[in-house]
Amino acid sequence: MINRRHFLTTVAIGTASAAALSACGNGSSSSGQTGSAEKPVTINYTWWGNDDRAERTRKAIALFESKNPDIKVNGNFTDFAGYWQKRATEAAGGGLPDVMQWDLSYLRDYGQRNQLLDLGTVKINTDAFEKSLLPSGQIKGKTYGIPTSTNAFAVYYDPAKLAPLGIAEPDGSWSYKEFNDFLTQVGTKSNGALYGGTDYTGVWWMFNIWLRQNKIEAFTSDGKLGFSKDDLKKWWNLTGSLRGTNAIIPEDRVTQLAPKSPFGSNATATEVTWDNFMAGYLGDSGAKELKLVPVPSDDPDNLGLFLKPSMLMVASAKTKFKDAAARFIDFMVNDPEVGQIFKTSRGVPASKTQRDGTTFEGTDKLVVDYEKSIEKYLKDAPEPPIVGFGTLEASFKRIASDLNYGKLTVDGATDAWFKEAEDLIKQNS
Amino acid sequence: MTQSPTLSRRPASSGSPLPRKKRQRGTDARAGYTFLLPWLLGFIALTVGPMISSLYLSFTNYNLFEPPKWIGLDNYTTLFQDERFLQSVGVTVGYVVFGTPLKLAAALAVAMLLNSKRRGQGFYRSAFYAPSLIGASVSIAIVWKAMFGDSGPVDQGLSFFGINLGGWVGNPSMTMPMFILLTVWQFGAPMVIFLAGLKQIPGELYEAASMDGAGPVRKFFNITWPMLSPVIFFNLLMETIHAFQIFASAYIISNGEGGPAGSTLFYTLYLYLRGFSDFRMGYASAMAWLLVIVVGIITLIFFRTSKSWVHYSGDSK
Repeated sequence: MINRRHFLTTVAIGTASAAALSACGNGSSSSGQTGSAEKPVTINYTWWGNDDRAERTRKAIALFESKNPDIKVNGNFTDFAGYWQKRATEAAGGGLPDVMQWDLSYLRDYGQRNQLLDLGTVKINTDAFEKSLLPSGQIKGKTYGIPTSTNAFAVYYDPAKLAPLGIAEPDGSWSYKEFNDFLTQVGTKSNGALYGGTDYTGVWWMFNIWLRQNKIEAFTSDGKLGFSKDDLKKWWNLTGSLRGTNAIIPEDRVTQLAPKSPFGSNATATEVTWDNFMAGYLGDSGAKELKLVPVPSDDPDNLGLFLKPSMLMVASAKTKFKDAAARFIDFMVNDPEVGQIFKTSRGVPASKTQRDGTTFEGTDKLVVDYEKSIEKYLKDAPEPPIVGFGTLEASFKRIASDLNYGKLTVDGATDAWFKEAEDLIKQNS
Repeated sequence: MTQSPTLSRRPASSGSPLPRKKRQRGTDARAGYTFLLPWLLGFIALTVGPMISSLYLSFTNYNLFEPPKWIGLDNYTTLFQDERFLQSVGVTVGYVVFGTPLKLAAALAVAMLLNSKRRGQGFYRSAFYAPSLIGASVSIAIVWKAMFGDSGPVDQGLSFFGINLGGWVGNPSMTMPMFILLTVWQFGAPMVIFLAGLKQIPGELYEAASMDGAGPVRKFFNITWPMLSPVIFFNLLMETIHAFQIFASAYIISNGEGGPAGSTLFYTLYLYLRGFSDFRMGYASAMAWLLVIVVGIITLIFFRTSKSWVHYSGDSK
């Protein structure tokens, strides 16, 4: 017979011993629980990307599991926008996956708020990394992310689209005026059948590069804005005379084509963006060949370019499997066979071991060659952007889009963006 | 019920039957609540609880990671200086004011057509109701996006008649008509209710009116409208509340951004973006409570004004 008192005592003892046991479990080793080949531990890994990346990631995971029989990896992926909403809810509930693919924009949001594991406390080999690259994954001396690969800004163009218009291929040493003239030429000669490009002033990172060309950092080290309203007005006025002409694709077309890019949809002759989008653009547009040249600059010696980690690997601060997580991250960033699987689809491998172990051919070689060609112009990667940067980047794009719709003037757009940015910085400080 | 006259005649002091009945009523109530328990537990844990905590959060600055910080009414006062918020209010009010009456008109018109005796009415009823069954789904929003896009069927159809609007999806002044068409097309639920209401109107009324020489317009305004007014009121109320809550289709058609140029930034979409993209849960909670209060006030106004135009059977008016 179970009477009330008996029942309560049993429950109390049970709970107490469970608590004691789990305390032992946590305390017994600093590297967390480990598995064995007979009883492997399972870690969760999540990433954003398309089907192509999912296929490559599955291959990499299978390889990892065959080399590490004591660890199983449970993979899961979504698209980029949904990715961050999911992570936010998981973090609020305390259930972030053990290992995650990460973006620089969100490193501070989570790192500074103690959601990510300090990877300096576990064993990950970073000897093969450029020393200038690692700080982009660090905040206040703690390493929250290890870059998998690098990317740099570039101007894409399709030579097959320029030839019939009788326009010479650009060599990539151009001022903003020359670049604008080029866009106008495409729009005029094609009579609007092909637009010059997308309005590049709507791209946050291009603005960041332009600021650096003018020796301005976008953010100060104490998390404030490093540029003035006048800087932003000057920037948005750069393409002022191009908006509404065939040099720039109208905004309603951009909206219609989304989520595909105008360049990937063959609506424009150029695109200014990260060089690791190559594979995606080739797939979307069906073009035979795409080429990369450096971004415009009014100072030919200072292109403002830098290598940014195209993505980072991070671990949850609450993971129970620190050791397994560290081994998986180490494998993903350093193993040459992983490089062979991903090629440049994540960007150019950041670890020299992985880079040297990968054979690059065709378009992959183009991306690697491009990053080599700009080597002499490269500056240090910027520090992880401020908390809430993801929001700022999105509102930059949105407000620039309103500008192209003619809903805002340059002055109005500048005021609107500064208001949102200042409000956000105040919120998070 | 048959017993009650005898019971009431008994003097209260005699006692025994009344307590027994009371006791029985008590057990009935207990049984009732026991059966209700699963629903009640769910309601308290999943609806009331979160609502109360969101009320608390609406007075705080909460970013999901750090404990909420109390800031009093700040969220509510900032709302009215937030241009995006005001824009979202404008978009939503426009949608409710134009979309709801048009939807109800369509529902009533189709219900009246389906009310007449004709062969195959059963088939037509199902056919007209079908869009509402699938209308709220994600797939329909995707289909509409394709239909109203550049060189989609709508664009091509209109250019056949010489109207060249281009795609509606990317044109800020055409997105609202597109959303209104989408909601009007989903008239099925109110239509079924209208149809049931129309069937309740006695045929003699129309017969008598015909004898007196009343035409169809006269019959509609003097018989159908007043006789149907409770049903119209119910539909108007439900559809208005519903319209304020539009989210899924807006999220999908605008890629979750409320574009182009903020023309589809519906209230709930902005609330969602504030909460889950910007991590400003306190702000989002304040928005949610403001919506609850405003919808409550509108419902109250509807009920107050209903006395002058809604006629219930048995009313002396």
